Amino acid sequence: MITIAKSIIATTFVASALSAGGSITAVKVGNDVKPAMLKTTDKLWDTAKAVDVALYPQTTIKMNDKKANATNANNSGKMAKISALYNDKCVAFKIVWADGTESIQDGTSSNLYPDGFAVQMATKFDDPKKLPYIGMGSEGRPVLVHLNKAVTTHYEPNGNKDVSLQVNRHQTNAFDANLTAFDESVKAAAMNEYKRSFISEGFRSMTEIKDGSSKFNMSMDYAKDAKAWSGVMGRHLKDENMDISAAGAIPVAFAVWDGEKMGRDGIKHLSTWIAVDFADKKGNEALVAELTAAPTGDAKAGQANVEMMCAACHTLNAEKQATPFMAPDLSNIGGYSTAAYLTESIVDPSAVVVPGYNRNAHKNFQWYTTDDKGVRTSTMPPMMTDEKMVSDAVAYLMTLKSEVK
Amino acid sequence: MSKRQLAMVMDLNKCIGCQTCTVACKTQWTNRNGREYMYWNNVETYPGEGYPKKWMELGGGFDAAGDLQEGVIPNIEADYGVPWDYNYESLAEQNLLGPDGSGYGKHGAEKAGLRPNVEPTWGPNWDEDQGAGNFPSDNYFFYLPRICNHCTNPGCLSACPRDAIFKREEDGVVLVDLDRCQGYRYCIAGCPYKKIYFNPKISKSEKCILCFPRIEQGLPPACAQQCVGRIRFVGFLDDEESQVYKLVKKHKVALPLRSDYGTQPNIYYVPPTEAPAKFDAEGRIIEGSQRIPMEELETLFGKEVHEVVKTLKAEMDKRKKTGESEVMDLLIAYQHSEMFRLDNNYYQDVAKAKGMPALAPIDDRYIKGKHTKEISHFKAHA
Repeated sequence: MITIAKSIIATTFVASALSAGGSITAVKVGNDVKPAMLKTTDKLWDTAKAVDVALYPQTTIKMNDKKANATNANNSGKMAKISALYNDKCVAFKIVWADGTESIQDGTSSNLYPDGFAVQMATKFDDPKKLPYIGMGSEGRPVLVHLNKAVTTHYEPNGNKDVSLQVNRHQTNAFDANLTAFDESVKAAAMNEYKRSFISEGFRSMTEIKDGSSKFNMSMDYAKDAKAWSGVMGRHLKDENMDISAAGAIPVAFAVWDGEKMGRDGIKHLSTWIAVDFADKKGNEALVAELTAAPTGDAKAGQANVEMMCAACHTLNAEKQATPFMAPDLSNIGGYSTAAYLTESIVDPSAVVVPGYNRNAHKNFQWYTTDDKGVRTSTMPPMMTDEKMVSDAVAYLMTLKSEVK
Repeated sequence: MSKRQLAMVMDLNKCIGCQTCTVACKTQWTNRNGREYMYWNNVETYPGEGYPKKWMELGGGFDAAGDLQEGVIPNIEADYGVPWDYNYESLAEQNLLGPDGSGYGKHGAEKAGLRPNVEPTWGPNWDEDQGAGNFPSDNYFFYLPRICNHCTNPGCLSACPRDAIFKREEDGVVLVDLDRCQGYRYCIAGCPYKKIYFNPKISKSEKCILCFPRIEQGLPPACAQQCVGRIRFVGFLDDEESQVYKLVKKHKVALPLRSDYGTQPNIYYVPPTEAPAKFDAEGRIIEGSQRIPMEELETLFGKEVHEVVKTLKAEMDKRKKTGESEVMDLLIAYQHSEMFRLDNNYYQDVAKAKGMPALAPIDDRYIKGKHTKEISHFKAHA
């Protein structure tokens, strides 16, 4: 028992060492730089300092794909290198992460999954203690998600009324040159890149922005020698969905998918909210302070309480397993949560109730109830009230995360 | 649960496995755009591997406690079978028969000039008509036509992390909102019947839509309309005048398939009762013998099947003796107009009440996004 506690403290120390000054400084570049122009190989990125950001496997909820669950059962954390640039109009991020294989989803197979990455941004962050839930936002705290996936040519029901292109080529009346022309017009209707913007207030509510109002660009390249992906996301500081033009710092979160391990929604690695500090720009100092502060509580004291009061419903780690689906699995919660979120959730469990988990899938374990007005109340009662008790628990919960390899 | 539920009854005693339903569906919906490998309607031989291969062993559905079960997503090549095509151009260029008449292709060529573009190793009905048992003494098989069960508690819907699958209030038809679908394929793992498919070309899931554009116009689904054996009845489960109601609720001679999966399926089957008797070693008929084992029927349709078979046999007997039996009259299926009770006016009213054009196939929960003016490519209706 003592040795376990010691190793946890050691882990805490290492983790906080990594996140010490864990903000990313966005370096200012000329206003001629536009998101659409930025490539992963751009020389401009040399001016920005890449920061190590740990990404942890999503284990809060478990999906229902048997093979994928078996493949991802013992995932460790990953390290990504992230740098940022900005100018008066735009902000851009570069993320580099290791991936042993280049997985591209083509248009013929049902069992290929693409590698990919996402950048998540909060639309409101005035109160750094009330950031959106990391898993694609929460009610009243929306997030924008920019997602890029490695896919080959694919087609979408696009509503352009080009149904004549959606018939089997053998059912056209075309032959020879006409058939070739038909094939070409079909190809012209295809999409060659998967880069999309979503807006979300909890992961089931995630909805693609299709009206062109999201001003962003993304690209990703695989380096075969280094066995690593590089991705770039650039967007306007201000568009119809978000305005961060006045901010001195913003919260950003990152996620990557490994197609080799059947990664897609729910099976991914994600970071916690990371503060991105715009160099030479004032404001939002509290946000940076909040996201870079080390936990103040006593993790060891917190562990005893958490094991006693939480472990009956919440899985904490491989040793402390609760009944599956009973409550969110906390085994990586320290990896992708802020201390403020954990505190809020302990003191007021209904403050953030993510309209996420499919309650129909596990009817016996309702994580929340909904009244006539759609107000969700967490099934979890507020159990800790004492301030020290809460901060100790948070300090312990922040240590719950996989090893980063 | 939806307000009303459309249902279909299929009479397995009358299915001859002609695949007319399969073709009706395929030409209507799945011969293009990445759906080529899909059979929203298929007719498989039971016992057999099924489509996709061994679908009953691939998980999904709910356990007795109501927890969604993990499932396996079948593979197009290995489990569904890749539809192959031929190099028809070769017909114009090559002699199919060699000069000595012995082979195919150009003179001296080892392979046929006309050949499939992939080497077929598996496909739907690869094991058609094989069945089980020993010919001729006790072999048996029957046909099992399958479409989406439009379940009351759909596994696919429960598995979707994007709320992309919805069950229509007005008739319980289960549909995929392709605008929301992101191609994660959890629905396929969640469906115990494996009746929802991944379209790799558009990277989204697609499934049987119960021909809702036809239904809304008062026409039955294409598979039911075209069925030459008239084995399919379509109607609302709460419509006491519908033959579906009479077969399922009144006479209780139709049962859902694998209701033990817990999804409350809405496609019902009249179990196969009629098969030749078994033969003994000398080839003589064993009187009163039952070729299709009741255990097999019990696996498919549950314990209730014993009662249903009893009822069917009794009704047949009654008809023989007295010339009268409502059940037999129903199963003879005299008129399409009686077999299909679909109310076009009902759909018109639903559309009107929603202020939508009659054929708007949309999930109206997301028409008006909170944050974007127009999320869907479908136009928002006032």
